[in-house]
Amino acid sequence: MTALAEKANIITSSLDFIVNWGRKNSLWPFPYGTACCAIEFMSTETSRYDLSRIGSEYVRFTPRQSDVLLVAGTITYKQAPILKRIYEQMAEPRWVIAMGACASSGGFYDAYCTVPGIDHIIPVDVYIGGCPPRPESFFDAMFQLQEKIQDESYMKARAERVKEQLEMIKAKTAECKENAEKAVKNAVSCGVQTIKDGKDNLLKKVAFWKE
Amino acid sequence: MADCEKLLAILEEKFGARREEADHQGLTVVVDRENLHDLMLFLRDDQSAKFDMLLDIVGIDYQGFKDYEGPRFAVEYVLKTMKAPVKRMRVKVFVSEADCNVPSIHDLYAIANWQEREVFDQYGVVFKGHPDLRRLLNHAEFEGHPLRKDYPAHKRQWLSTNDYLLPELEARLEKKGYRIVSRSKEVLPNDGEYLEGSCKV
Repeated sequence: MTALAEKANIITSSLDFIVNWGRKNSLWPFPYGTACCAIEFMSTETSRYDLSRIGSEYVRFTPRQSDVLLVAGTITYKQAPILKRIYEQMAEPRWVIAMGACASSGGFYDAYCTVPGIDHIIPVDVYIGGCPPRPESFFDAMFQLQEKIQDESYMKARAERVKEQLEMIKAKTAECKENAEKAVKNAVSCGVQTIKDGKDNLLKKVAFWKE
Repeated sequence: MADCEKLLAILEEKFGARREEADHQGLTVVVDRENLHDLMLFLRDDQSAKFDMLLDIVGIDYQGFKDYEGPRFAVEYVLKTMKAPVKRMRVKVFVSEADCNVPSIHDLYAIANWQEREVFDQYGVVFKGHPDLRRLLNHAEFEGHPLRKDYPAHKRQWLSTNDYLLPELEARLEKKGYRIVSRSKEVLPNDGEYLEGSCKV
């Protein structure tokens, strides 16, 4: 064992694979539970079903520390801006699961007060049917989300981000250059003016002393 | 039942109340809104009645009701007593659409405050003398009253931002003896963020 450890250990892999592996096995949910679906989620967390088998044992009650927004329950129009704000507070990368009929489509609340599906407010990755769905279907949704994450490319997203930043830097430098040129021009014209003024003064003085 | 008849006789004599014939099982009393407050006070305090619990305030819209002629709206008060088993009664007030208001009874029953707000929210009945008549269930930007029969049931209305509830909370805390020492800049009230219907202190 010691002999093995003394040798250099190198594993070659793509960065995408490693990042996705880390992401998909530690999906921390943020439970936005407004109705009975949240109770099903609670039973998913208990030891009988045990969501921590796939690394989701930490239920985070702050959007800053969570990866998956789990909308479990009916969303009314009074709730809609609050849900949107919570989604905006989550850090990238973030995913959304619409759990149950109400969150997916409004369910049987076909009335003036209920939002017909949360996809009117925020983008949704996985929908779960059922009223309420069983813990097994919640597990299925998590597995689907994991498959989805496996196809994502961290490097591609990073390249796009770097490109954006480069363009931003270029635009900023161009702006700065323009400003500097303007300042130089101003300074030059001011300087010319002062020189002219000085020349006039000198001429006046010369004329005075001549007299 | 004999008890009910006695009470009804007193109410008829004192407040000009009359019995609702459609109610075959219990006692429902129809009264003019001028006498409502006195009647409720009597029902709450008098030894023969002692209805010390207000269960609910219900709004009714009679538009399109079968074989009905009369004022469009009605407000019904459901009362219960803790002194005798299963003794309940209802008080009904008819309100026309043109003059849609009822005196508030929030000073008799504390729960009436929110129940009246709910009836106002859903039916648009104004409770005169109510200290804080705002919407209770629907959001602040909502237009119209959704439980009226002429409101299209599928007309949905979006809300742009949620209510600004901090001033209300602070007022409550100050009532309890707390004092606000300083506010951070984030929570300072911004006039642009207020919505119509939210509580501005």
